[in-house]
Amino acid sequence: MEFVDALTGFRVDGRRPNEVTPTFPFPTAPPRVTQSHSVLLLDFAQMRQLKGEVGVVARADGSALFEMGNTRVIAAVYGPREVQNKGQQVNSKEALVRCEYRMAEFSTGDRRRKPKGDRRSTEISLVIRQTMEASILTHLMPRSQIDIFVQVLQADGGTRSACINAATLALADAGIPMRDIVTSCSAGYLCSTPLLDLNYVEDSAGGPDVTVGILAKMDKVTLLQMDAKLPMDTFENVMELAIEGCKAIATYIRETRKINGLNMLKIASHKWITHRVKGLLVEDEWLCPVQWTGNS
Amino acid sequence: MVGLSEGEKHFIRGGISQDIRTDGRRRLQFRALSVETGVIPQANGSARVRLGATEIIASVKAELGKPSILHPDKGKISIFVDCSPTAEPTFEGRGSEELSTELSVALQRCLLGGKSGAGAAIDLSSLIVVEGKVCWDLYIDGLVVSSDGNLLDALAAAIKVALSDTGIPKVNVSLSAASDEEPEVDVSDEEFLQFDTSSVPVIVTLTKVGRRYIVDATSEEESQMSSAVSVSVNRNGQVCGLTKRGGAGLDPSVIFDMISVAKHVSEQFIAHLDSKISEAEAAAE
Repeated sequence: MEFVDALTGFRVDGRRPNEVTPTFPFPTAPPRVTQSHSVLLLDFAQMRQLKGEVGVVARADGSALFEMGNTRVIAAVYGPREVQNKGQQVNSKEALVRCEYRMAEFSTGDRRRKPKGDRRSTEISLVIRQTMEASILTHLMPRSQIDIFVQVLQADGGTRSACINAATLALADAGIPMRDIVTSCSAGYLCSTPLLDLNYVEDSAGGPDVTVGILAKMDKVTLLQMDAKLPMDTFENVMELAIEGCKAIATYIRETRKINGLNMLKIASHKWITHRVKGLLVEDEWLCPVQWTGNS
Repeated sequence: MVGLSEGEKHFIRGGISQDIRTDGRRRLQFRALSVETGVIPQANGSARVRLGATEIIASVKAELGKPSILHPDKGKISIFVDCSPTAEPTFEGRGSEELSTELSVALQRCLLGGKSGAGAAIDLSSLIVVEGKVCWDLYIDGLVVSSDGNLLDALAAAIKVALSDTGIPKVNVSLSAASDEEPEVDVSDEEFLQFDTSSVPVIVTLTKVGRRYIVDATSEEESQMSSAVSVSVNRNGQVCGLTKRGGAGLDPSVIFDMISVAKHVSEQFIAHLDSKISEAEAAAE
């Protein structure tokens, strides 16, 4: 199958696969912004349309819906709260972060019932947990637990990336202190072309699928996964492309956070935390708690 | 999840006995309902229904299958419910299994009408393509995204909306094949058939708190219930199914009273839901 049209250079869903060199600026075209009811829609040149919405689950402490094209996930955050199962608490000086990934029965094209907790879900739960744990300031919330639940409503490639992005937004909505925002994006290599943000058709073509997660501000990679083989120099290009995608998503998440008035100052008024936070705002109004005063 | 103090419990019970609940509603008043259709493009029909803070996504998928030997002239419908842990942390892992099964069985009882399917909400013979050989299998999935009580009523409403949004592709059968062979079917991607969903019932759950009963209970109110009766009623006012939950026993006369109240409430609810469905359909176009 032709994944990149030889004549027009368009991808199966009509996106343009641009050549990416490290000097190539991203996004290549100015993003198109539509804003309505505090939901931002953003089109970047190579990426599918992004949509993020916070506060979608009324009773959760924080929640978000994140869409990358047809892939649609919901994340809900409960906590920080008391540790429910004391046996799981490894270190009482840090918060316990837990995660569960679940796919809706109707999320895939062909409907089949899968047992809960199959290996794929368990693996993705673990990946999301580790990625989010890297950015949550767990030492500020000792003897407590944070639950992140992600529910896939529609799967069209890149579900684990979408889940991580949704989890970031939901954590911000819950007012949980974080070092930095984590964003994730995948990239692949088909028809000798690096492609950003693979959809299901491209993902199941058998080519390599590189999923990258970064701490946007600190410019650090927290998640890196690849299946299938790829020459070293090509891998660099593909990974570079995925990182550019992550940065574009970070831009998007910052904008969504802004229009929803979310910043980490919310933690000061969080019902669970009775301590006071003295902090400073870094350039993009992301609060880095520098001093923590309280009685415990 | 619901942790209430003695004072709060007393306040909830007192409010119900005085016909003004904690959120200002009267005993037989529903919360605000919002309806959206076509939320899952991959499905044949789908809907999102919000009842206060309870949120349900329902999808209907149709697949070609073989009718059962006992009912060669009928298609098949199955209903599954899944409670997502996003709704409540206790639904994590296998924690939601018991509740999901309870809800699925209650919905099956109310909408599918027993093993024969005689009292079904949907005319099962309309799902047949070739008698004894090919029929449509409808898979109805309900996903509880957010839970604040009254899940069963919200699920039934969501399924009703999803069914009214459902289009089943038109099938052309080539009759040239010999009778013992599998007939060739050609599924059209352009022409769709709509269901007659007018007879799909809604479920009204009456939750008994103290000596009174209420409709559309929130999870705080549900934590104070002694028992609940779910009645499914269709447009003609016929009772299509009944489920009683909760430990406490009920006087038979109270049950009859509850059924007649449920019938009365369902009339308004069906009318309200229908207007919301046509609003959602107009918005989707």
